Amino acid sequence: MRRYSIQILHTCIVLLTVYHVHAQQHSIVIQFHPKVGAQQLQLFTEAYSNSNGEPFTVNRFRFYVSHIVLIDEHRQEQTFSNDYFLVDAADTASQKIMLPTSFKKIHAIRFTVGVDSLRNVSGVQTGALDPMNGMFWTWNTGYVFAKLEGQSDSSHMAAHTFSYHVGGYKPGENATRVVVLKTNTDNDSIDITVDELKWFGGKHLISIQQYPVCHQPGSLAMQLADNIAGSFSIENHP
Amino acid sequence: MKIISTIIALIVLVGFAIAWTTATFHPTPLRFVVPKGWPQPLYDFKNNPLTVEGFTLGKTLFYDGRLSKDGNFSCASCHQQFAAFATYEHNLSHGYNNSLTERNAPALQNLAWQKEFMWDGGINHLDVQPIAPITNEHEMAETLENVVNKLKNDTSYQRLFRSAFGDATINTQRIMKALSQFMLMMVSSNSKYDKVMRGEASFILPEQLGYNIFKMKCASCHKEPFFTDFSYRDIGMPMDEVLKDEGRKKITRLKSDSLKFRVPSLRNVAVTDPYGHDGRFFSLMNVFEHYRKNMQPDENTDSLLQHKLPLSNFEIGQLTAFLRTLTDTSFLTNTGFAPPGYSLVPPQTHLH
Repeated sequence: MRRYSIQILHTCIVLLTVYHVHAQQHSIVIQFHPKVGAQQLQLFTEAYSNSNGEPFTVNRFRFYVSHIVLIDEHRQEQTFSNDYFLVDAADTASQKIMLPTSFKKIHAIRFTVGVDSLRNVSGVQTGALDPMNGMFWTWNTGYVFAKLEGQSDSSHMAAHTFSYHVGGYKPGENATRVVVLKTNTDNDSIDITVDELKWFGGKHLISIQQYPVCHQPGSLAMQLADNIAGSFSIENHP
Repeated sequence: MKIISTIIALIVLVGFAIAWTTATFHPTPLRFVVPKGWPQPLYDFKNNPLTVEGFTLGKTLFYDGRLSKDGNFSCASCHQQFAAFATYEHNLSHGYNNSLTERNAPALQNLAWQKEFMWDGGINHLDVQPIAPITNEHEMAETLENVVNKLKNDTSYQRLFRSAFGDATINTQRIMKALSQFMLMMVSSNSKYDKVMRGEASFILPEQLGYNIFKMKCASCHKEPFFTDFSYRDIGMPMDEVLKDEGRKKITRLKSDSLKFRVPSLRNVAVTDPYGHDGRFFSLMNVFEHYRKNMQPDENTDSLLQHKLPLSNFEIGQLTAFLRTLTDTSFLTNTGFAPPGYSLVPPQTHLH
């Protein structure tokens, strides 16, 4: 009889612990805000000017976010290593990522822009990584980590298009970049600005006239990747 | 009372039976046999276990023209079984809207041992290979989205996917994995050469002499048992002025890889003509003439071929006899790979 009561007690404790942890779980919303400078990005219609003074419009803007790590004020980390998200400027739902966490205060967030090498070499994936999503090089296997397409009078390509497809997972051409942002928020949301102007004028100056197209891994893709990494910042609430 | 409890017990039992048949999924495992003396395959079967149902689905997809934009081009329209799944008598294959491919369709065989795919090795996994021909505008010219939608609208496919994967979900991943299952089974290991190696047959004199010459002059690149070392080499084929195909350089962007292409397997070589990455060699004789006379070595040409490859008429004759022993009729006529519903392999036909 005593053995049974201990077992019952044990079960109760386990159940209570599970309930307790579960009760503290809440969702944190990571919201990406595609912008050009200080303005909200308007696809197709709005004309912008980059740091080289080149005019441009944006038709398509997409990027992969993966390996998200939430860091709390005690430097504890919660890692979401198997979740891949495709953020698309044309799809507002995709700009909002909800993650379950028990952290009360998020001190910082770390994430990878792109897709790790393992997923690039281990065959056909599904979900956000479905090759159907148009972020996949079929002839030279690999994911396009980020994509910016539009038009610019500075481009000498047909229809004045420019098209940047950034990817590359092999040694020497790795275009994944890790972004760390301090948040210090006890809100349930983290607002992140993604500034397209940084694609042209971040760590490297990239001119549409000189480089209207990037469609393969390599040095240009890696330079663009550096710029992309610098395009993320925590949105300042007035 | 007893009757009521019996009825309840029966209802519960029937309930369990229904739950069992609907909830459980028991595909029939398909055994992959590694031919004696061959290395272990590189393909990771754990992520895509072979089943009879998966193979059947893969075969149905392989022969279905709906994977192309206009319904005319299935995988099999360029990969014909009687030609070891190459395109019979075509230097380049036909694609959507009267277009031609840019390279010669390779034979499909022993793919489980192949690490990279295409003539330039640009594709790193069998499961993502079919995406390239399906979406290429000169081949099947279709989008993955349309393929998935077309299949979803066909109830017979819903059944096939359910029996292969447990539920009727149709997506890119499942299509590709089923195609892989079908193609992985394409093992050619039963040619006369194989039988001789296993001690079940013996070469006639010209075949034996040809084999000796082969081992001396060809086998360093066309390595047994696959008759390729899977490397990329420049054999002094000048660039075609229209295709302007730089080969491996397109993938690595290295100048030193310009004009390098994968060493093709010579298994079933007698039925996979024409030869070369762009099919420029009409016959085996053209290939021999290239090696001994016509090649134009450049700075990337293999060191073994810097002075071409001297071959006498006698050697060519014996080599030809040997190469014919690599034809595996049991593979070319295996009805397991024939279109669904065929009890015979369809005869050689000129499809386009």
